[in-house]
Amino acid sequence: TCALWQLLFRVLSPLPAGNALASIALEVQARLVKSALCSQGYPRLALAQLPEDGSQGSRELLLALSWLLARGPVPEQMLAQTRVPLGDEMTVCQCEALASLGPPAPHMEAEGPVDVRHVQWLMGKLRFRWRQLVSSQQEQCALLSKLLRTLEHESRRLEAVLAWRRAEPVFWQWMDTVLGTCAPEAPAAASQPTFLPWVPECGDGELELVVRELQTLEEELREAVERRRVAWEAKARGCGRGPEWSAARRAFRETVEKELGALQRCWEQDSGPAPAHGPHRLVRREDGAAGDRDLQAAELIRTLRSQEACLEAVLRQLQGQCRQELARLAGALPGLIWIPPPGR
Amino acid sequence: MSIVTVQLGQCGNQIGFEVFDALLSDSHSSQGLCCKRENEAYQASCKERFFSEEENGVPIARAVLVDMEPKVISQTLSKAAQSGRWKYGQHACFCQKQGSGNNWAYGYSVHGPRHEESIMNLIRKEVEKCDSFSGFFIIMSMAGGTGSGIGAFVTQNLQDQYSNSLKMNQIIWPYGTGEVIVQNYNSILTLSHLYRSSDALLVHENDAVHKICAKLMNIKQISFSDINQVLAHQLGSVFQPTYSAESSFHYRRNPLGIDWHVRPSLSGPSSLGKMSLNKDLHFNTSIANLVILRGKDVQSADVEGFKDPALYTSWLEPVNAFNVWKTQRAFSKYEKSAVLVSNSQFLVKPLDMIVGKAWNMFAS
Repeated sequence: TCALWQLLFRVLSPLPAGNALASIALEVQARLVKSALCSQGYPRLALAQLPEDGSQGSRELLLALSWLLARGPVPEQMLAQTRVPLGDEMTVCQCEALASLGPPAPHMEAEGPVDVRHVQWLMGKLRFRWRQLVSSQQEQCALLSKLLRTLEHESRRLEAVLAWRRAEPVFWQWMDTVLGTCAPEAPAAASQPTFLPWVPECGDGELELVVRELQTLEEELREAVERRRVAWEAKARGCGRGPEWSAARRAFRETVEKELGALQRCWEQDSGPAPAHGPHRLVRREDGAAGDRDLQAAELIRTLRSQEACLEAVLRQLQGQCRQELARLAGALPGLIWIPPPGR
Repeated sequence: MSIVTVQLGQCGNQIGFEVFDALLSDSHSSQGLCCKRENEAYQASCKERFFSEEENGVPIARAVLVDMEPKVISQTLSKAAQSGRWKYGQHACFCQKQGSGNNWAYGYSVHGPRHEESIMNLIRKEVEKCDSFSGFFIIMSMAGGTGSGIGAFVTQNLQDQYSNSLKMNQIIWPYGTGEVIVQNYNSILTLSHLYRSSDALLVHENDAVHKICAKLMNIKQISFSDINQVLAHQLGSVFQPTYSAESSFHYRRNPLGIDWHVRPSLSGPSSLGKMSLNKDLHFNTSIANLVILRGKDVQSADVEGFKDPALYTSWLEPVNAFNVWKTQRAFSKYEKSAVLVSNSQFLVKPLDMIVGKAWNMFAS
């Protein structure tokens, strides 16, 4: 009987299984089971009257379990709770605002002789990055083996569910006989037992307080924004006025306007689905029926390909700039032989 | 990401104990001055770096203890176990009976090779326990025989076997009026070997820490235990989790990822700082400075003073040489604390003194 209480608790509990659950006392588990069943509308009163020490009532508990199993796909729900989330997810970001490339890179001046110590420093930095990469890869290997073990656990659970589905008809035949042996119950009284959760009354006063706090916060933020804007303008004004400065400023302004336009379009778009953002689960569907919030893989692939093309174009442009810069430097140091990297 | 600590010799083992103790008690401190979720992230990060978990929940330090005499190791093991909050692994130590007699060569050429396999095995077992291994932290003194000689030997071995992992050596610079007659020989031999195989040398001078105990803390009878605790406190405030500019949403992954930039000849000492600058800027320039801020008001702290180009060598811009790591989570019981880790010329003079004394002794 104790095992049945624990099984019901595990089925009804909204949290995934963990060590914490195992340590809850049997009486507490039993009480939680009763209140959960009641809130789901379980009709048999006899269960609510069972003692909570696990001494009797295995038939009632069995009936409750089969009631739950009949209502919904319990094993599948439990599997979904403990699903290993890695390997079949990808993050998607269709936000137009984020497709912009950020502020233009500052122009690097490389004039004059380069100190060899600076080059040594760069070598050291490179070596350091290399080692970080290696240790990340090692970490990835260790985590993959952990993942493998978790997946093995999950496939064992899946096999258990399949076995259950095969044996299920026998279970229902048996439960029919169990129900047959029960005395018929009087229809449930209208009074609900006292298992409802207690919702504290939230008076208007609290809401008022929250509203006031939000208003003060808004005021403070507005003042902070003003202060920052003034400070920035003062700084920007003192930044010099050469022709290159105004060119840079124009470039900045264009980028900002583009981003702002994208953001506004995002907000104003209430027709059509919101641009996708965040992790999506990969699901294979034969019937081609897509839900409301589902994305077609083909469409996503198309979008990603066009983004890739854009980025490649930018990359080629930047590489060209670098090559020009290198050529210029090579020309400036006649005694040195430069071997540029092979162009692509 | 996890660090494996190798504690060598009497000094290394005593300090190692204090460091783990300081790290864990800060991690459990209730006055973090931050929200619960932040505190939990901090604790989890600290735990993963320095401790591994056992079934009954007592954290085990990720450490290997090495000494050529049994006394200090057994004291260290029992002190840890007595604390009840953490302990060392049961099979994590290696010790012998005969000591090294403060003789560097004995440590490096005799003990090292003789016990190489056992020691490296212990280290390997500890590394294999880590899910994501970030590097080694080796604690040793320069003046003795075991820490210095075996320390140099082990660091070299680690360079060969784990060439892609970072190694930071915590070196204790002996008192100028030191305890050991041949300490200058030992120091120079140690440094010359470590220079080639270590990635970073973090130096603490006994004299400097002694002054902190005497002047800042007003301790009358300064014992090694006091010195070690101050040292551990400083190291703790460097190693505990922080955020940096690159990863501002989760704690930095690699606590040893202090980018020293160049394989330096020496690293400078760390000082528990108020943010006042060293007034005589022109004779001490740095290759790299790292400021770590913890506690209240870190977001608004002004570190512009550290970006003065005069503090740095001529061939490096402050933007490349200066880094700040921050966290709101307060360290130990300090509402605000700051640490400066500096790769500068601070140790040139002490090094000159040691070299001078060693030559004098050699030539006489």
